[in-house]
Amino acid sequence: MSAPSHDVHEDVAAYALGVLDEADHQAFERHLMSCEECQAELREMSEVPGLLDALRDDRSDTLSGDHTPR
Amino acid sequence: MPCRIPESRLESVKTNNDHILAEELYQEFGAPLLRHVLRSTGGDLQWAEDVVQETLLRAWRNAGNLRRERGLLWAWLLTVARRVVIDERRRRGVRPRETEPPDADAVPAPDGAERALEAMLVSEALRQLSPEHREAIEQTYLRDRTIGEAAEILGVPPGTVKSRLYYGIRALRGILKEKGVAS
Repeated sequence: MSAPSHDVHEDVAAYALGVLDEADHQAFERHLMSCEECQAELREMSEVPGLLDALRDDRSDTLSGDHTPR
Repeated sequence: MPCRIPESRLESVKTNNDHILAEELYQEFGAPLLRHVLRSTGGDLQWAEDVVQETLLRAWRNAGNLRRERGLLWAWLLTVARRVVIDERRRRGVRPRETEPPDADAVPAPDGAERALEAMLVSEALRQLSPEHREAIEQTYLRDRTIGEAAEILGVPPGTVKSRLYYGIRALRGILKEKGVAS
Protein backbone atom coordinates (compact mmCIF):
# COMPACT_ATOMS: atom_id res chain seq x y z
CA MET A 1 0.00 0.00 0.00
CA SER A 2 1.42 3.38 -0.91
CA ALA A 3 0.92 7.03 -0.11
CA PRO A 4 -2.65 8.32 -0.54
CA SER A 5 -4.33 5.06 0.35
CA HIS A 6 -6.46 4.94 3.44
CA ASP A 7 -8.08 2.22 5.43
CA VAL A 8 -11.40 1.16 3.91
CA HIS A 9 -12.73 0.42 7.38
CA GLU A 10 -12.58 4.11 8.12
CA ASP A 11 -15.29 4.72 5.53
CA VAL A 12 -17.77 3.39 8.04
CA ALA A 13 -18.24 6.80 9.65
CA ALA A 14 -18.89 8.56 6.36
CA TYR A 15 -21.22 5.73 5.44
CA ALA A 16 -23.12 6.02 8.72
CA LEU A 17 -23.55 9.74 8.08
CA GLY A 18 -24.70 9.08 4.52
CA VAL A 19 -22.09 11.42 3.01
CA LEU A 20 -20.04 9.06 0.86
CA ASP A 21 -20.04 9.85 -2.84
CA GLU A 22 -22.14 7.34 -4.76
CA ALA A 23 -19.35 5.06 -6.03
CA ASP A 24 -17.74 4.92 -2.58
CA HIS A 25 -21.09 4.33 -0.97
CA GLN A 26 -21.70 1.29 -3.10
CA ALA A 27 -18.18 0.00 -2.71
CA PHE A 28 -18.33 0.33 1.05
CA GLU A 29 -21.70 -1.36 1.20
CA ARG A 30 -20.26 -4.38 -0.58
CA HIS A 31 -17.39 -4.41 1.89
CA LEU A 32 -19.77 -4.02 4.80
CA MET A 33 -21.74 -7.13 3.97
CA SER A 34 -18.68 -9.28 4.53
CA CYS A 35 -16.89 -7.36 7.28
CA GLU A 36 -18.11 -8.02 10.78
CA GLU A 37 -15.86 -5.39 12.30
CA CYS A 38 -17.44 -2.71 10.18
CA GLN A 39 -20.90 -4.03 10.92
CA ALA A 40 -20.21 -3.76 14.63
CA GLU A 41 -18.85 -0.24 14.24
CA LEU A 42 -21.76 0.82 12.10
CA ARG A 43 -24.20 -0.33 14.76
CA GLU A 44 -22.26 1.61 17.36
CA MET A 45 -22.12 4.75 15.28
CA SER A 46 -25.58 4.73 13.85
CA GLU A 47 -26.99 6.70 16.75
CA VAL A 48 -24.63 9.66 16.32
CA PRO A 49 -26.10 11.26 13.17
CA GLY A 50 -29.53 11.41 14.78
CA LEU A 51 -27.99 13.23 17.72
CA LEU A 52 -26.21 15.63 15.40
CA ASP A 53 -29.60 16.38 13.86
CA ALA A 54 -30.48 18.08 17.13
CA LEU A 55 -28.16 20.84 15.98
CA ARG A 56 -30.15 21.37 12.82
CA ASP A 57 -33.27 22.17 14.81
CA ASP A 58 -31.41 24.35 17.17
CA ARG A 59 -28.52 25.80 15.34
CA SER A 60 -29.52 29.38 15.91
CA ASP A 61 -29.46 29.00 19.67
CA THR A 62 -26.46 26.81 20.12
CA LEU A 63 -24.09 28.14 17.52
CA SER A 64 -24.72 31.82 17.10
CA GLY A 65 -26.00 32.32 20.59
CA ASP A 66 -27.89 35.56 20.04
CA HIS A 67 -31.39 34.29 19.39
CA THR A 68 -31.96 33.07 22.90
CA PRO A 69 -35.53 33.77 23.91
CA ARG A 70 -35.93 35.84 27.05
CA MET B 1 -18.17 -17.67 0.61
CA PRO B 2 -21.84 -16.90 0.65
CA CYS B 3 -23.94 -19.70 -0.64
CA ARG B 4 -26.29 -18.04 -3.06
CA ILE B 5 -29.56 -19.30 -4.37
CA PRO B 6 -29.45 -19.14 -8.18
CA GLU B 7 -30.81 -15.82 -9.46
CA SER B 8 -33.88 -17.36 -11.11
CA ARG B 9 -34.88 -19.21 -7.93
CA LEU B 10 -34.33 -16.08 -5.92
CA GLU B 11 -36.65 -14.11 -8.15
CA SER B 12 -39.48 -16.54 -7.68
CA VAL B 13 -38.91 -16.79 -3.96
CA LYS B 14 -38.87 -13.03 -3.81
CA THR B 15 -42.04 -12.70 -5.77
CA ASN B 16 -43.87 -15.00 -3.43
CA ASN B 17 -42.61 -13.13 -0.42
CA ASP B 18 -42.73 -9.64 -1.84
CA HIS B 19 -45.97 -8.68 -0.28
CA ILE B 20 -45.16 -10.07 3.13
CA LEU B 21 -41.67 -8.67 3.23
CA ALA B 22 -42.73 -5.17 2.21
CA GLU B 23 -45.41 -5.23 4.85
CA GLU B 24 -43.07 -6.60 7.49
CA LEU B 25 -40.55 -3.90 6.78
CA TYR B 26 -43.23 -1.27 7.12
CA GLN B 27 -44.64 -2.71 10.30
CA GLU B 28 -41.36 -3.18 12.02
CA PHE B 29 -39.46 -0.11 10.91
CA GLY B 30 -42.00 2.36 9.54
CA ALA B 31 -42.83 4.20 12.75
CA PRO B 32 -39.36 4.40 14.34
CA LEU B 33 -37.88 5.40 11.00
CA LEU B 34 -40.44 8.15 10.58
CA ARG B 35 -39.57 9.53 14.02
CA HIS B 36 -35.92 9.61 13.07
CA VAL B 37 -36.43 11.11 9.66
CA LEU B 38 -38.68 13.85 11.05
CA ARG B 39 -35.61 15.20 12.80
CA SER B 40 -33.67 15.55 9.60
CA THR B 41 -36.57 17.07 7.70
CA GLY B 42 -37.01 19.66 10.41
CA GLY B 43 -40.45 18.38 11.31
CA ASP B 44 -41.78 18.29 7.73
CA LEU B 45 -44.14 15.30 7.98
CA GLN B 46 -45.03 14.98 4.31
CA TRP B 47 -41.40 14.99 3.29
CA ALA B 48 -40.49 12.56 6.08
CA GLU B 49 -43.19 10.14 4.95
CA ASP B 50 -41.87 10.25 1.41
CA VAL B 51 -38.38 9.55 2.69
CA VAL B 52 -39.55 6.57 4.74
CA GLN B 53 -41.39 5.17 1.76
CA GLU B 54 -38.40 5.56 -0.53
CA THR B 55 -36.06 4.07 2.08
CA LEU B 56 -38.21 1.01 2.70
CA LEU B 57 -38.63 0.58 -1.03
CA ARG B 58 -34.86 0.49 -1.44
CA ALA B 59 -34.57 -1.94 1.45
CA TRP B 60 -37.14 -4.14 -0.19
CA ARG B 61 -35.27 -4.02 -3.50
CA ASN B 62 -32.08 -4.97 -1.71
CA ALA B 63 -33.73 -7.61 0.41
CA GLY B 64 -31.52 -10.32 -1.09
CA ASN B 65 -28.42 -8.67 0.40
CA LEU B 66 -30.01 -7.59 3.60
CA ARG B 67 -30.97 -10.75 5.38
CA ARG B 68 -28.98 -9.68 8.39
CA GLU B 69 -29.89 -9.19 11.94
CA ARG B 70 -32.06 -6.34 13.04
CA GLY B 71 -29.41 -3.94 14.34
CA LEU B 72 -27.54 -3.90 11.08
CA LEU B 73 -30.68 -3.57 9.02
CA TRP B 74 -31.72 -0.62 11.17
CA ALA B 75 -28.32 1.04 10.68
CA TRP B 76 -28.61 0.43 6.95
CA LEU B 77 -32.07 2.00 6.87
CA LEU B 78 -30.84 5.06 8.74
CA THR B 79 -27.98 5.55 6.31
CA VAL B 80 -30.23 5.21 3.29
CA ALA B 81 -32.80 7.58 4.78
CA ARG B 82 -30.10 10.15 5.40
CA ARG B 83 -28.93 9.93 1.84
CA VAL B 84 -32.47 10.34 0.56
CA VAL B 85 -32.94 13.44 2.72
CA ILE B 86 -29.60 14.94 1.73
CA ASP B 87 -30.27 14.31 -1.97
CA GLU B 88 -33.65 15.94 -1.78
CA ARG B 89 -32.38 18.88 0.18
CA ARG B 90 -29.75 19.46 -2.43
CA ARG B 91 -32.24 19.05 -5.24
CA ARG B 92 -34.48 21.63 -3.68
CA GLY B 93 -31.47 23.86 -3.45
CA VAL B 94 -32.06 24.51 0.19
CA ARG B 95 -29.12 26.55 1.28
CA PRO B 96 -26.96 25.42 4.15
CA ARG B 97 -27.91 26.69 7.54
CA GLU B 98 -24.94 28.98 7.78
CA THR B 99 -26.57 31.40 5.35
CA GLU B 100 -30.17 30.75 6.20
CA PRO B 101 -31.97 32.31 9.11
CA PRO B 102 -33.78 29.70 11.19
CA ASP B 103 -37.47 29.39 10.64
CA ALA B 104 -39.22 29.99 13.92
CA ASP B 105 -42.23 27.91 12.88
CA ALA B 106 -40.06 24.87 12.22
CA VAL B 107 -39.14 24.40 15.86
CA PRO B 108 -40.49 21.00 16.84
CA ALA B 109 -43.22 21.32 19.39
CA PRO B 110 -43.70 18.27 21.64
CA ASP B 111 -40.20 17.33 22.62
CA GLY B 112 -38.83 20.82 22.11
CA ALA B 113 -37.23 21.18 25.51
CA GLU B 114 -35.60 17.79 25.46
CA ARG B 115 -34.35 18.43 21.97
CA ALA B 116 -32.93 21.79 22.97
CA LEU B 117 -31.04 20.19 25.84
CA GLU B 118 -29.75 17.49 23.52
CA ALA B 119 -28.62 20.14 21.06
CA MET B 120 -26.75 21.93 23.84
CA LEU B 121 -24.96 18.77 24.92
CA VAL B 122 -24.11 17.78 21.36
CA SER B 123 -22.74 21.18 20.54
CA GLU B 124 -20.72 21.11 23.76
CA ALA B 125 -19.37 17.69 22.78
CA LEU B 126 -18.45 18.99 19.32
CA ARG B 127 -16.44 21.78 20.90
CA GLN B 128 -14.42 19.21 22.82
CA LEU B 129 -13.20 17.60 19.59
CA SER B 130 -9.97 18.60 17.93
CA PRO B 131 -10.55 21.39 15.39
CA GLU B 132 -9.83 19.02 12.49
CA HIS B 133 -12.32 16.44 13.67
CA ARG B 134 -14.98 19.03 14.35
CA GLU B 135 -14.42 20.65 10.98
CA ALA B 136 -14.77 17.32 9.18
CA ILE B 137 -18.18 16.77 10.78
CA GLU B 138 -19.32 20.33 10.17
CA GLN B 139 -18.19 20.43 6.56
CA THR B 140 -19.86 17.16 5.63
CA TYR B 141 -22.92 16.05 7.51
CA LEU B 142 -23.99 19.34 9.01
CA ARG B 143 -23.72 21.09 5.65
CA ASP B 144 -25.18 18.26 3.56
CA ARG B 145 -21.97 17.84 1.64
CA THR B 146 -20.42 14.66 0.35
CA ILE B 147 -16.85 13.68 1.19
CA GLY B 148 -15.71 14.79 -2.27
CA GLU B 149 -17.23 18.23 -1.91
CA ALA B 150 -15.89 18.73 1.58
CA ALA B 151 -12.43 17.57 0.51
CA GLU B 152 -12.38 20.22 -2.17
CA ILE B 153 -13.46 22.94 0.21
CA LEU B 154 -10.97 21.88 2.86
CA GLY B 155 -8.18 21.39 0.33
CA VAL B 156 -7.30 17.90 1.55
CA PRO B 157 -7.65 14.45 -0.10
CA PRO B 158 -10.99 12.68 0.34
CA GLY B 159 -9.26 9.91 2.28
CA THR B 160 -8.16 12.48 4.83
CA VAL B 161 -11.71 13.73 5.31
CA LYS B 162 -12.96 10.15 5.74
CA SER B 163 -10.26 9.44 8.25
CA ARG B 164 -10.91 12.62 10.27
CA LEU B 165 -14.58 11.87 10.16
CA TYR B 166 -13.96 8.37 11.44
CA TYR B 167 -11.89 9.43 14.43
CA GLY B 168 -14.09 12.46 14.98
CA ILE B 169 -17.30 10.45 15.12
CA ARG B 170 -15.72 7.88 17.40
CA ALA B 171 -14.51 10.57 19.74
CA LEU B 172 -17.85 12.34 19.61
CA ARG B 173 -19.67 9.16 20.47
CA GLY B 174 -17.35 8.60 23.42
CA ILE B 175 -18.03 12.09 24.78
CA LEU B 176 -21.78 11.74 24.24
CA LYS B 177 -21.70 8.45 26.09
CA GLU B 178 -19.98 10.09 29.03
CA LYS B 179 -22.63 12.78 29.02
CA GLY B 180 -25.29 10.11 29.00
CA VAL B 181 -26.70 11.27 25.66
CA ALA B 182 -25.58 8.27 23.61
CA SER B 183 -25.94 4.69 24.67
